[in-house]
Amino acid sequence: MTKRFSPSQIILLVVAAALAIVWLAPLAWAVATSLKPESETTKLPLQWFGSELTLDAYRLVLATGGIVKWAINSTVTAVVVTFMTVLFSAMAAYGFARTQFRGQRVLLAVILAGIMVPPQVLMAPLFAEMVSLGLVDTWWSIILPQVAAPLIVYILYKFFQDVPLELEQAAFVDGAGRWRVFFTIVLPLSRPVLAAVSIFTFITTWNNFLWPFLVSTDPNTMTLPVGLANVVQGTFGLRYAQIMASVVLAGLPLLVVFVLFQRQIIRGVAHTGLAGQ
Amino acid sequence: MEGPSSVSRRHLLGGGLALLGAGAAGCAIPVGLGSAQRRVRYWHFLGASDGIIMNRMVGAFAKANPDVFVEENVLAWGEPYYTKVAMAGAGGRSPDLATFHLARLSGIGAGRILDPINVDLLAKNGLRAADFSPPIWERAHINGELYAVPFDAHPMVQYYNTDLSRRAGLLGDDGKLKPTTGTDELLAMLRKAKDALGGKPPLVFDALGLGTVGPWRVWETLYAQSGGTLVSDDGTRITLDDTKALTALRFMRQLGQEGLCNPKTDYGASVAAFTNGLAAFLWNGDWETTGLKERKTPFSMARFPSVFGSGAAQADCHSFVLPHQRNRDPETEAATYRFIAYLVKHSADWAVAGHVPAYLPALEEPAYLALQPQSEYRSVITEVALDPKVWFAGSASRLWIEFGGAFSPVISGARTPEQGLETAKQALRRLMSAPDPFPAKEG
Amino acid sequence: MATTVAAPAATAPAAHVQVRRRWTQHGLLFVAPFLVIYAAFLVWPTVLGLRMSLSSVNIAGGNNEFVGFANYAEAFTDPRMWHSLWNTVVFTVLSTIPLVLLGLGFALLVHNLRFLQWLWRLSFFGPFLLPSAVVAVLWLQMIYPPEYGLLNGTLGTDVLWLGDPSVAMWSMVLTTVWWTVGFNFLLYLAALQSIPQHLYDAAAIDGATAWTKLRSITLPLLGRTTGLIVILQLLASLKVFDQIYLMTNGGPEEATRPIIEYAYEVGFSGYRIGYASAITYILFVLIVIVSLGQLRLLRKREEALS
Repeated sequence: MTKRFSPSQIILLVVAAALAIVWLAPLAWAVATSLKPESETTKLPLQWFGSELTLDAYRLVLATGGIVKWAINSTVTAVVVTFMTVLFSAMAAYGFARTQFRGQRVLLAVILAGIMVPPQVLMAPLFAEMVSLGLVDTWWSIILPQVAAPLIVYILYKFFQDVPLELEQAAFVDGAGRWRVFFTIVLPLSRPVLAAVSIFTFITTWNNFLWPFLVSTDPNTMTLPVGLANVVQGTFGLRYAQIMASVVLAGLPLLVVFVLFQRQIIRGVAHTGLAGQ
Repeated sequence: MEGPSSVSRRHLLGGGLALLGAGAAGCAIPVGLGSAQRRVRYWHFLGASDGIIMNRMVGAFAKANPDVFVEENVLAWGEPYYTKVAMAGAGGRSPDLATFHLARLSGIGAGRILDPINVDLLAKNGLRAADFSPPIWERAHINGELYAVPFDAHPMVQYYNTDLSRRAGLLGDDGKLKPTTGTDELLAMLRKAKDALGGKPPLVFDALGLGTVGPWRVWETLYAQSGGTLVSDDGTRITLDDTKALTALRFMRQLGQEGLCNPKTDYGASVAAFTNGLAAFLWNGDWETTGLKERKTPFSMARFPSVFGSGAAQADCHSFVLPHQRNRDPETEAATYRFIAYLVKHSADWAVAGHVPAYLPALEEPAYLALQPQSEYRSVITEVALDPKVWFAGSASRLWIEFGGAFSPVISGARTPEQGLETAKQALRRLMSAPDPFPAKEG
Repeated sequence: MATTVAAPAATAPAAHVQVRRRWTQHGLLFVAPFLVIYAAFLVWPTVLGLRMSLSSVNIAGGNNEFVGFANYAEAFTDPRMWHSLWNTVVFTVLSTIPLVLLGLGFALLVHNLRFLQWLWRLSFFGPFLLPSAVVAVLWLQMIYPPEYGLLNGTLGTDVLWLGDPSVAMWSMVLTTVWWTVGFNFLLYLAALQSIPQHLYDAAAIDGATAWTKLRSITLPLLGRTTGLIVILQLLASLKVFDQIYLMTNGGPEEATRPIIEYAYEVGFSGYRIGYASAITYILFVLIVIVSLGQLRLLRKREEALS
C-alpha cells in the first residue's frame, strides 16, 4: 500500500537507525577499546580510535592461556549437554506420546511439574549433591543438571503428538523394530523442531553462569563466562584493552553464528522460548 | 593487597603484572605434564607487589626443584576468595595448597573444608613449633590440631614521611621518628606536623568508603592497647568494655575534629595522599612498603604508637593451609610440604613486601635486618592483636565490615562515639546470635 | 495435559491394536535415560533442598542437624532477607515494564520496515546472545565508570552509575534492558508476523488509519503474547543474580542485592547452606505462584489454537 520510499518509511528508517546505533554502541565501544594501545584506553575526552589500531591486547590475552582453556570447556560442556538433552528428551517425549506403560501419567505429570522448578532455587541442594558425588570441579558436574530439562521434553511431546501415526504404521507393517522407527523415521521427520530445541539448549548452556560458577572453583575447569568473571578481571587488573579483548573473544562466537544462521536461531529461540524460559 | 579491591587500581595493575608472569609460566608447561614433574596446584590472593614477590619466590623454588611444577592461581582477594576455597574444599578436588588469613581459620573450622597439617612431614622438611612466634603458632591450631603453617604477620604500622617529619622537628638524632607514648605525646606530634603542613590534616588512613575496614583497624588497635576484648575466649560471650571502647572512639573523633586526621579519605585516597607528600603519616597495614618505595616517596615506618597502654597493633597473618581433598596423592603431598618449607625458610625474601616473618630464625637473618624500613617494626610480632576466635572474624569478614561501617561516621562527626558503639554492638550481637556453621563439637 | 496421552490409541481403529501393543512393549526404555537424570538432578535435589532447609547443615555437609522450621523463622525475621526480597521485587517491576514496552516498540518498528531486516535483528537481538558475564564486565569496566565510561563521556553527565545507592538499581535495569529486550522483541515480531494480512486489508477498505489499525487490530491480537511475555519476564527477573552480582556485588549499601545473591552469600560465603536453602525455598513459593499463571495462559492459548 505504500511506496518503497514513502515519507513514513523514511521516518521509521531514521528512528530504527538511531536506536540501532544506541543499541550497538556498547559493543562497538568494547571492540574499539580492545584495539587501542593500553595507555590510551582511558584517555579523556573519549575517543573512539586510538593513535593506532593494535592487536596487542588480543595477543596478550591469548598468550596467557586461560581463555583458550575456558573456550574448550565451554564448547565441550555445551555440545555434550545439547546432544544428551535432545537425544534423551526426544526419546522420553516419544515414549510418552506413543507408548503406554504403568505409571505413565504420573510420571508425565511429575516431569511437567518440573518446569516450575528453576535451577537457581536448587543451587544449594544441587551443590551439596555434587559434593557427595565427588563431582565438584569436573565437567560432569556442569553437564548433568543441565540435561534434566523438562521443558524440552514438553515441547517435543507436544510435537510428537501432532505427527501423523500413519507414517510409523507403514514402517511397522514392513517389519521395522520400534527403535528403528524412532531413529530412521520419527527423528528425521522432526528435524526442524530438533534444530530449534538444540539451538536453544546450546545457547542457554553456553551462556549459563550461576551453575558453572558454583561447581567450578578450579580455573582449569571453568567455562568461558565463569573464567571471564572470576579470573580475567583479577588477572589483567585494570588493563582495559585486555579485558575488552577478552569480552569480545567470549561474546563473539554466538554473534558470528547468529549472523550465519539468523533464521534458524530466531526460530529456535522464539519457538522454545515461548513455551517457557 | 589488603585494601578493598574497588579502590586499589594501582595494586590491581601490579597484580596483573604478577599474573602475566604466572600465566606465562603456566602455559610454558602443558597441564598434562606426563614427565616426571609433580604438579602442585597453589591458590593465593596476593596482588600488587605481594604478588610479584610471591611469583618470584615460586620461580626460585622451581629453579631449585625442577621435579616440581607449582601451578600458581591468583584469585580475587577478600570474600570471593574465601568462598571459593570453602567450596573447593567441600568439593574435595581442591588445590593442593592455599594461602589463608589466620584469623579466618576459626571461621572455616575444621569441618572438612581444610585438612590438618601433618606435623611429621613438616618436621621432616625442617619446620618445628619452636621456629614460630608462639601466639601465632597457637592460633594456627583448632582443637589442638595444626591446620595452618604461619608465614607472616601484617600489623598496623605507622608510615611517616621523613622530609615532612624532619621539617616539623619530629625526627631524633638517628633520623628516625621519635616514638610517642600516650595520647598527649601523639597529639603533640600530630599538631606539630599539622603546622608544618600549613594546617592540613597530617594523618591519613582508610576512613570511609564502601566496605571500609580502616576505622575497625585503627579502633581495634587502640582498644586492644587498653586491654579490651570483644568476645570471651570460648567465643560464647560478648566481653566488649564500653568505657575502653568509648575512650578509643572519642580519641578517633578528636583526631577528626581537630583536623589531625582526614576523615574524608577512602583507602585509595589515603595511600595516594601519603605517596604524594600531602600527609605526613599513614596508618595502614605494612603492605604498601614496596609500592611506596617504587614511587620514591621519602618515608620510613615505625610500630604503631602506644596510645592506651600496650604496644599492641591490630594484625592478621598469612599462612598456608591444605584445602580438603578426597584423595591426596602422597607424592604431591610430599612436594607440597617441600614447597611450604621452602617459602617459610625464605621468609626474608618475603619480608621485602613489608610483612614480619612468623618464622623466628628469619628475624635474625642479616638479610632481613638489612631491610629498611621493613625490619623497623619487627618487635611487634609478639604483640599482634588478632581477631577473636569466632566464625565471623578475620580479613574481609562481616565483623570488620560492620565495625568499619559503624565507626567511620564517628571520625567525621556524623555520628557520636556512643551512637557508633551502639551500632557496632548491635551488629556484634546479631553476629553472635546467628548460628555458627562450624560449631566446635564437630571438630 | 496428561489426559491427552491416550488420545492417539483411543481414536485408533481396530487394525491398530496390534501395532499399539508392539509400541507398548518397552515404553519405559524410551523414557528411562531422561528419567534417571531427571530424578537424580531435579527431583532429588528438590527433596534434598527441603530437607536441608530444615537443618543446620554447613557447606561441607557437616553440622547436619534437624532444626525444624528454625531457618524459616530466622528468615522471616531477618531484615537483610526482607531487604533483598524487596530489591528483587523492585528490580522485577522496574525492569519488566520497559522490557515489555520496548520489546513491543522495536518489534512494531522492525515489522513495518522493508530494508535491512537482518541488521535490525542483529542490533536489537544480538546482545541477548551474550553471556551475562560478558555483558556485566563490559558495562562495569567501560560503560559505567564515572570518569572514562562511555555513558558519562557521551552524555556529558557526572553520575555515579554504580556507586550511588539511589542510582545503582536503575543502572542494573538499564543494563538488563539492553541485554535482554531482544528476546521480547523476537517474540513480538513472531506474533506480528502471524497476524493475517487480510484483517488489515479489510480495515483499509473501511478507511482505517495506521493508528486505528494498530489500536483495534494489532494490539488486541498481541494480548495473549503480552501475557506470556510478562510472565516469562517476571520469572526471569525474580531469579536475577548474574549481572547484579558481577557489577555491584549487591551494593552500594545493599541497594541492589537480590534474594538469590543473598542466598549465595549466606550459603556459600557464609557457609550456612541449610539457611540458604530455606531462603531459596521462600523464593520458590513466589515462583510457583507466577508459574501457575503461566501454565494457565499456556493452556488458554492451546485451547484458542485448537
